[in-house]
Amino acid sequence: MAKPSQSSFVVKYDDNNQEFSIIGSMRPQDVSELEACTKLLETSLAGVRGTFYVNVKRLVRLNNIAFHVLAGSLVRACSERPDLRVAVITSSVVGWSTRKFGALNKVNPNIVVEEYDSEFYPGQSFLEEGEFIPILRTQTKMTWRHERNILPRHGMREGLTIADICCGIGDFAVLVYKEFKPARLVALDHSRSSLGYARKVAADFGIQGIEYIYGDAAEMLLEDEQFDFVTCRHALQIFNKPDLILKELFRICKPGGRVYVTNEKISQCLGEPRGESIQWTYDELSKLFAHFDMDLEFGPKSRKFMVEAGFDDVRMESFMVTNLDGDPQDFADIVKSWEELFAGGMSQQRGDSAEFVEKFRRGFQDHLFAALHPKGYAGWPVWVASGRKPA
Amino acid sequence: MTLAVHEAAAKAEFRPMLEVEMDIGVFVSNWTHCDRISSYLARMVSHNRTDSLLYSNLFSSALNELLETVFRSHAGEGRFRCHVSRAGSVDRVELTIPADDDRAAFYVETVRELHRPTVSDRYRKALFAQGPLDLRIGLYELAVDYGAVFSVEQPDSATVRLTADLALEDSEQ
Repeated sequence: MAKPSQSSFVVKYDDNNQEFSIIGSMRPQDVSELEACTKLLETSLAGVRGTFYVNVKRLVRLNNIAFHVLAGSLVRACSERPDLRVAVITSSVVGWSTRKFGALNKVNPNIVVEEYDSEFYPGQSFLEEGEFIPILRTQTKMTWRHERNILPRHGMREGLTIADICCGIGDFAVLVYKEFKPARLVALDHSRSSLGYARKVAADFGIQGIEYIYGDAAEMLLEDEQFDFVTCRHALQIFNKPDLILKELFRICKPGGRVYVTNEKISQCLGEPRGESIQWTYDELSKLFAHFDMDLEFGPKSRKFMVEAGFDDVRMESFMVTNLDGDPQDFADIVKSWEELFAGGMSQQRGDSAEFVEKFRRGFQDHLFAALHPKGYAGWPVWVASGRKPA
Repeated sequence: MTLAVHEAAAKAEFRPMLEVEMDIGVFVSNWTHCDRISSYLARMVSHNRTDSLLYSNLFSSALNELLETVFRSHAGEGRFRCHVSRAGSVDRVELTIPADDDRAAFYVETVRELHRPTVSDRYRKALFAQGPLDLRIGLYELAVDYGAVFSVEQPDSATVRLTADLALEDSEQ
């Protein structure tokens, strides 16, 4: 009999969704170690109608002994029941699984492999277009003026092990790297194009200490309790299930470490002159994001979410990025890009009328006017929250 | 006798990175050594790859299959050595394995098979074959799914040295 191995995996079956999930590392020495898994798989298969889902998105490691057993059960079931369809859900983040499980389809076409990826966050595709990159950089430049002073109040200091989750184009990570000299800095995002840009920027600046990695913030493969300080900026507000992201941020944070998030309450963007038009447009912008399952009003809700996620010592503050921070043209450039992206792209995709789009655009243009007006004031508020993972 | 089955990059180009060495008896005393060594080495060698986490996953998977093969296919006593070196995008894993004539023949013949066009078919058959798992499946997988380039040599009558060149940043595309 084989000695017990250190295979550390969890198998679950969700009857409602006909979904069999395997999570963790499955490297047994002998098939006998998989008896419970095999039994659950075969019992589950016996009771399903239509499509049976096998979720291996978080199956990080699998040896051939285990694959042989799983594949045998699935192929046998599909051979015996031609009405049965099996969908294996893999993740591109894992690297090997789509290719490995893809072999099943060659043996039985009723077994298909579907790779889970950014399609699960459809709204965000607006924010990952290449032309938006210069504006993201300008935004970070403007928020950094505030955050470089705010971060230490939330526990940031030199020499920490840091993760920047949903790092986007990675410019915040570069600034943190330069300012706070972390012992290790991992920056994760699920946009390959953004990561490609991030790596190029880091290389251009001769920075080699940032690990840019591809991953899904809701199901990260980073190990538990690795980081002293975890940042996640302007991201909870664009996920339809921010609690899942926070749960992951909590998981990878060391006990006693802190998680730092920033979010907006976009309806509180303001400006004068032409304040009324500006207010109307940003109220509508909030509704537009809600249409795409994104909550740009998330900022002040951060405290509630952090407490419910299990953090203590939750600290919160807000700051206002304004046209008076450096060059007003920077602020104007951001607003101009928002007009194009939101009134030009998202609003049209929602099917808004020409009259609506015209009025919607006007608010952005008035915000821009206020930003560049010699007596004008334009603001974009951001909420910061951080919480400590109990030791 | 040295049997070179592949023209790999010149040895001089590879810079040593890490090495694990132990008595083969110690290595095979616990199955979890395969998982632990592959996970540890993968993490150590991956940090400066383009995507460290993805690379680490792939490297760990590949190395674990190599180590599991050694675990099940060795003979006699002696030192087991796992040496990792790097030349640009290629990471080279050299496994020095105590082996008698039969075990040496197993590695030599399997590496020959890996260079034949039928290797993909053999891998698929092994994946879905009834009965016990084919001992060669891990090497097949590396050659087919990971694009690994293998060579094997016999430094002496009691040892086999199996070399796998892995270009994992290319294979993930």
